[in-house]
Parts: sequence; structure tokens; C-alpha cells
Amino acid sequence: MSGERFLSTERGERLVADLTLSGVRVYAPVEAQGRTEYGLIKDLREAALGGPLPGMSLKSLFFPPTEPLFRWRQSGSEVALEAVPTTFEPMVILGVRPCDAASLAVLDGVMGWDYKDELWFGRRQAATILTIACPGFDDACFCSAVGLGPDASKGSDLLLVPVEGGYHVEIVSDKGAALVKAHPACFSDPRGRESAEAFRQQARRRVGSNLEIDPHRVRAWLAGHFEDRFFDGLGLRCHGCGACASVCPTCHCFDIVDEPEGLLAGTRRRHWDTCQTGKFTVHASGHNPRADQNPRFRQRVMHKFWIYPAKFGDVLCTGCGRCTRACPAGQNLLEILGQLDRQPQQIPEGMTS
Amino acid sequence: MRELRELAKKLLEEGTVSVVIGWEEGPRGVRPAFVTSPEDAEQLVFNSRSVHNLATYLNPRRPQVRRLGKPAVVVKACDAASVAALIRETQLKREDVVLIGVRCGGVVGRPDGPAELTPETVARRCMDCEKREPALCDHLVGEAQPAPPRGEGLGARLGALEAMPLSERWAFWAGELARCVRCHACREVCPLCFCERCVADKTVPQWIESSPHLRGNLAWQMTRALHQAGRCVGCGECERACPAGIPLALINRKLQQAVAERYNFKVSDDPGVPAPVGAFRLDDPQEFIR
Amino acid sequence: MNVYEPYLVTIDDIRDETPDTRTLKLRFKDDRVADSFAFRAGQFGEYSVFGAGECTFCIASSPTRTGYIECSFKAVGKVTNAIRDLNVGDTMGFRGPYGNHFPVDDWEGKRVVFIAGGIALPPVRCVIWNVLDLRSKFADVTIIYGARTVTDLVYKHELAEWGSRPDVTLVTTVDPGGQTPDWKGEIGFVPTIVEKVGPTSDDAVAVVCGPPIMIKYTLPVLDRLGFPPDRIYTTLENRMKCGIGKCGRCNIGPVYVCKDGPVFTAAELSTLPQEY
Repeated sequence: MSGERFLSTERGERLVADLTLSGVRVYAPVEAQGRTEYGLIKDLREAALGGPLPGMSLKSLFFPPTEPLFRWRQSGSEVALEAVPTTFEPMVILGVRPCDAASLAVLDGVMGWDYKDELWFGRRQAATILTIACPGFDDACFCSAVGLGPDASKGSDLLLVPVEGGYHVEIVSDKGAALVKAHPACFSDPRGRESAEAFRQQARRRVGSNLEIDPHRVRAWLAGHFEDRFFDGLGLRCHGCGACASVCPTCHCFDIVDEPEGLLAGTRRRHWDTCQTGKFTVHASGHNPRADQNPRFRQRVMHKFWIYPAKFGDVLCTGCGRCTRACPAGQNLLEILGQLDRQPQQIPEGMTS
Repeated sequence: MRELRELAKKLLEEGTVSVVIGWEEGPRGVRPAFVTSPEDAEQLVFNSRSVHNLATYLNPRRPQVRRLGKPAVVVKACDAASVAALIRETQLKREDVVLIGVRCGGVVGRPDGPAELTPETVARRCMDCEKREPALCDHLVGEAQPAPPRGEGLGARLGALEAMPLSERWAFWAGELARCVRCHACREVCPLCFCERCVADKTVPQWIESSPHLRGNLAWQMTRALHQAGRCVGCGECERACPAGIPLALINRKLQQAVAERYNFKVSDDPGVPAPVGAFRLDDPQEFIR
Repeated sequence: MNVYEPYLVTIDDIRDETPDTRTLKLRFKDDRVADSFAFRAGQFGEYSVFGAGECTFCIASSPTRTGYIECSFKAVGKVTNAIRDLNVGDTMGFRGPYGNHFPVDDWEGKRVVFIAGGIALPPVRCVIWNVLDLRSKFADVTIIYGARTVTDLVYKHELAEWGSRPDVTLVTTVDPGGQTPDWKGEIGFVPTIVEKVGPTSDDAVAVVCGPPIMIKYTLPVLDRLGFPPDRIYTTLENRMKCGIGKCGRCNIGPVYVCKDGPVFTAAELSTLPQEY
């Protein structure tokens, strides 16, 4: 369902108040102690909309750093399992950046691949995403280079574009329409369409100038050049620290561990993990197929820009630039993608993906 | 800089080393560089954004760097202390590395941030630093530098924390450590975290829970701090690397202070000075042994 | 039930194959699961010891035998050592069946050659019994199996059973120096014995599982015998966790071993990067 509306700043405050009163958790970018992160708010004035890109991505709200998978309890030789909930209380996330909203739709691919990850989809179902179009954050942004953009609506339920007095609202999904319908006092007739369009154009120009590549060309080159010497030096400055994976909205690798609580009970949990660590692929025999940082860094690039799109269509990256900002060693994904895009294409015969 | 580049070029041309590990201007700021051919020595820079502790690339857990061959590493005085620690702990032989010392007047907090050194931009660890050049080096380059801008350094921040009542201090650290996602960036960037198998990665038994809940995070951070006590040189890279912005340097500085008080040990870039871990004196304090 | 929650199984039987290899027979606690559980030869599962974690093993029993599953393992790490501490009657968990399978239906009418080494007999054993339980559907069946020493041979009683069948050609071997004084089988590395036996490749498929070095030297022998790469099957192992393609750990280039494998033909393997 499509349609446009206008949300004034005052009505936005009313919307947050109404939602909070009805028991819906509202999240927004919040500034605390010099950091901006997505956090719980009760009042719109607590939110830092139009401020810096939140340091950690939105994925923590859908795929927490640690979460229980089930609990067990032993008595004698018998074991009983206690399920964890897979339905969640409704939440609205306001002020999501387009790069973060898109990551949710991108990850739906792997999370629904044959086996449906109900923890992920349970949270997806419970959440309504109110994205606010971004003016472009800084020179590390490259959302438009990966087929998205500072005003992309992928993954969003409503797309808000800042205009005078509030936001021009574009209804993107049925869930977004339902939210608008449920709060008729907050959303008024559309206003500021031209101003919104101007904002979007300017933002696209700004981000577009950071990096221009053809992701299909990059993917084709990666598919045919796994052993290429291009990767030889990439692991040199890389510490294998995994900071990139932790701030990345689309990195989703995880580990599963049993945590006993006493002798007879415990919780099986999953937690974030990264292909960048040495022990990620080590066999019980001690053999490690990715024995140093060169193949490990290569895996990061390959997975994001060839393997994932080959399986699910979307590049496993939304161009938010956090990896490049967070890397303590100055690895720069914009630089790497630019270099990959400029590699001469000699695709071996028969290589289709 | 000319001096540094000429020296690097000469070392490579003469085959004294196979790689010079220094800094270069990257697309978004200064970053580590690995120069293997003499012509590329022109890329090397040293300026206020040369923040990184390059000694970490001597950490034996980096086979892709070791494969390059004998390195020369450009080191500030603080970085040289890490090299000294690696030598002291037999992870590196002095003759296996060429050290190019640089005279340093402080660096900024972020290698991709503003380059101007002011009390606001200067790295906290530089604020009370007295060493303008390393003693541990084979060559020394660069012009004499003034002392870094002074400001509220780590010591002052620690003092503020220590003035808090215990419950407030606990609330502060619980709040900070709850954000830890156990990426282990702090460990991976540290020159002195060189264990082949970190205690946190051991599963039989699982000494430290790997989950990033507060309990697991406390176990990890406290263990790492204790394993660094008496060894950490205070380079602050752990804090800079942390994607969650946890003030790790405060923890390490606190333990550094404790070790200094008890064992009269100051961080030194002389590998010959024994460190409290791995050495004892007959007059070491021992009132805690009952 | 969320996909990460396992079925509960009881250990019905424990058999030590060698000093360090053990076989478990597991029965689903829930009758409905026991009655409806089905899988194909080559698939694997994630086996839980609650409190220690999960471990990946192939299902070593044949899909033609219902009501239970078997796995064989060597105690090398945290979970496998925890399994060794369990007794008959204890409870474990099982998630599966996961992965692809040997295309046994496609082999109807063909000769089947099974080649395995050491602890790699379990993933082949499931498909050996699958074929033997439907023996009339296939032409000649040849089994070539070797281990370092006589003690290291697994499924010894089944080897005796296979060897005594007139419709199976069984050749067992041990590495030179691994024989006992009363050893009656061959002496030599598996690839050498395959060459010696020289099974015909006419309308035949080969299933090869073993340590990487054995595979490395066996594939050229099969090539010389005329087996084309798309009629040679093997299984790959890689470090796994979720088993269902989500945790990102087991991929080799574009292929997830837990979803696109673990069964691969030599032809498919040759397109993969050498990162395993």
C-alpha cells in the first residue's frame, strides 16, 4: 500500500507518547556520554534525530549479541527442555538510517534459507521501522554504490524525509500503513513533497560522490579470482580484531555455546562471532583452512560481495561505512571496492555466478 | 620525514631488512604501511596522526607479517616499550628487528581526525608523557619535539573514579562493560597479547564464558587486565580499537599504578629491566602470604 | 519448536570400535518423532550433550533401518569427550537430518565401489548398508577399507559380515607395519590397494572417504581406472556449528558444506577453492 502523509514535529511527539502509553517500546538514536546509539525512549525529545549515525547498527535489536536458544534441566538420566519465546512485544524504531533499515531485509535471506530462524523473524514481525532519510553522513558512506542510497526505502515501513516543520512521510509497506491508520491524529495530509525531493537529490549527490562501482562487475571478478594475488597484502595491517564485524549491520556469523548454571541446568545460547578470528574455522585436529589473516580478510570480501549475492541476490553490505570508520588499522572498504571494480575482467569460461 | 624515507630506502636497498613497517597517508587518515620495495619508501610519513603502535606487528601471532622477512619498525618511545616487553618475554630476539626511533611530541586521539595537536585533540595517554624519543632503537630520526599539550589525562580521570563511592564506581563499570560485544579487538591489537591459545578461547574447561552478557564480559575484561598487569605499556590501542567505546585504558592504567606502587616498577623500554611478572626480588612485598 | 532446539534421544547401546572410537545407538524419546523420522544416506546431525555443547557427525546407520540412528566418533575435543562420559540410558539431543545426500536412487543398476580409510568409514557405512539392504537394485558391490593398524579398523564385526557375503567383494588392508601375525587381509596404503584391486569403471560409481592425504592419492588411481569425476562421490567436513546455513562458518568459497554438502562429486570439488 502506498501513500504520502505529513508528520509534524509536535505530532511526532504525540505519536511517541501514544505508542509508549499503549505499551509499545519505542527506540530511536539517543545520545549519551558522547556516543549516539539506538536506545529506548519515552519521549521524542530524548531522541537525537538528524544527528550522527549510531555507532552500533540496528542488528542488536533483532539479533542480539547474546541470546538464549533454550534452557535444559536434568534429573537423573532424563533431560527436559524449556523453550524460549519466539514472539515478541511490539516495538517501533524511529529515526532508523536507510542503511540500517535495508540490512534487515538483506538478512532475511539467510535467516529464512530453508530453515526459518524464528528468533529473527519473531522480532522482525514485532517491529515497525520508521526510517528517516539521511543527508549523507561523511566520506565513508557508500550506500549508493551498493544499490541503495541515503533515501532508500528497502526494509522500511515508513520513509520520513526531513522538511520544514516535520517530515514528509512515504508509506512503504502494509505495516507502515497500519501504523498510520492506527494514529490518525498524528499524520496529516501530505506536505513538502518538493522540499523532500530536493533533500533526497542533494543527499544522493553527496553520497554518490564518495564511491561509484558496479557491484555486478565486482561480483563477477571475485567469482573468477579467488586465488588472485590482490588478496596477498590485505591481511597485513588487519589485526583480525572483528571490530568491523561487530559494527556491521549485515555481519551475522554466530557461535553456539552451552552455559551450565550449576550441575543440573543451563542455557544454550548463541552469540556474535566473526570470520576474522583465527579460531573461526579451526578443526578439532588443529588444521585451519584459513591459517592467517590474508585468507580471513579475503573471506570477508568474498562473502559480502560474491557468495551472499550469489545465493540471495543482495550484496551483504549496505554501504553504511562503519567498518571503515571503526577499523583501528585503517582498512578502507571504499578503497578496496574501488580497486576491485577497476580490475581487468577475464572471467573464466563456464563461471556463471 | 626525508630522513625517515632515506633511511627506509637504504635499509631495503641494502637488504638489511625485507620490509619497513611504518605509517602512510591512507584515503581517510594515517594508517600502518608495509613497504617492501625501496621506491615505495616515499610513502612513509610520521606526523601527529601516527597514532598506531606498530610494535603489534611484531607479535608472533601474525604469520602473514613474519613471512615478509626481517622487519624494520618505526617506533615512538611508547611503542619501543612494547618492543622491549616482547624481547623481555622472549617473543622476539633483539637482532631480529631493526628499530627506527622517531622523536615525538604527542599524537592525536584519532588517526583519521584533525591533525592539529591541541589539549582537546591530543591522545589522553600523551598528556603526561615525558619521553620525547625512545632509547631502544638502532636509528633515531626526526627533529626535536616539544612536550605534548597538557590536559586531563588518564591519571586525572582515574582519580575522579576513585573518588566515587564503591556502588557508583560499580554502576559506572557495569554500564560500560555491558556494551562489550566480545569482539576481542582489545586483545588482537595489543602487542603483548601473544598467547597461541588465549585463556578466553579455552573450552576444556571453559574458564571464561564466551557470551557477551555482563557476567561473561566482566570475567573477560578482568582476566585480561590481570594478565596485562605489570606488562601493559599504556599505549591505549585497546581503547582506540574498541568499537563500543569502553574506556579500557583506565583499567590498564589503574593496574599499572598498583604495580608501580607495590613493586617500584615503571614501564621501561630497556629489555634488560626485569618486569614484575617473571622476576622476583627477595625484598618483594609479601604480607599477603599468610 | 525453534530450529535450534534438538529432539531428545536416549542412548540405547554403546560399542567401542577401537580404543578411541565409539559407536552410539540412539532412540528418539518422542514416539511420534521415532515413527516419522526419516533421512537419506550421507546426511548429518548435530548431537548435543547438554552442558557441553553440540558436535557434528554423519548419521552412520542406514535410512533403511528405522526407529533409531547411530553415530561413530573419536574423542578429540570438549563435546566428544563429554559423550564418552555418558552411559546407556542417558539423554542426548539431536538436530537433523541436515545436508544433502548420496544419490543412491541414481545408482540403480550400476556397480558401486566403496573406498574408505580409518575413521572415515562411518559416513560410508550408512550408504553401504543402504545399498546392501536394497542389494538386488545394484550390480557388483566392492568395498575397499583400510586403516593404519588392525586395531584401528572400525565396525570389525560388520566387516566380517560383509566379507562373508557372496554378493560383496570386500578387501581390507592395513598400512605396512600395521598387521598382526594372524592378519589375513592386504598390507598396503588404500590407494595402492585400490590400484591392485582395479575395480572396473564400466557403469560404476565410486564413493571415497578418508583423510585428505588418502583422497589425494586415490583420486588419480580412480582416474586411471576410468572413473569420470562426476561418478566419484566424497564427503567433506568443515568446522560447523548451526548445521543449517546461518552461522557462516562452514563455507568453502560459494558452497556451504552444511547445505550444499556434505556429499560432493569430485567434479564439484574441482571447482571449489582449495580452502578446506
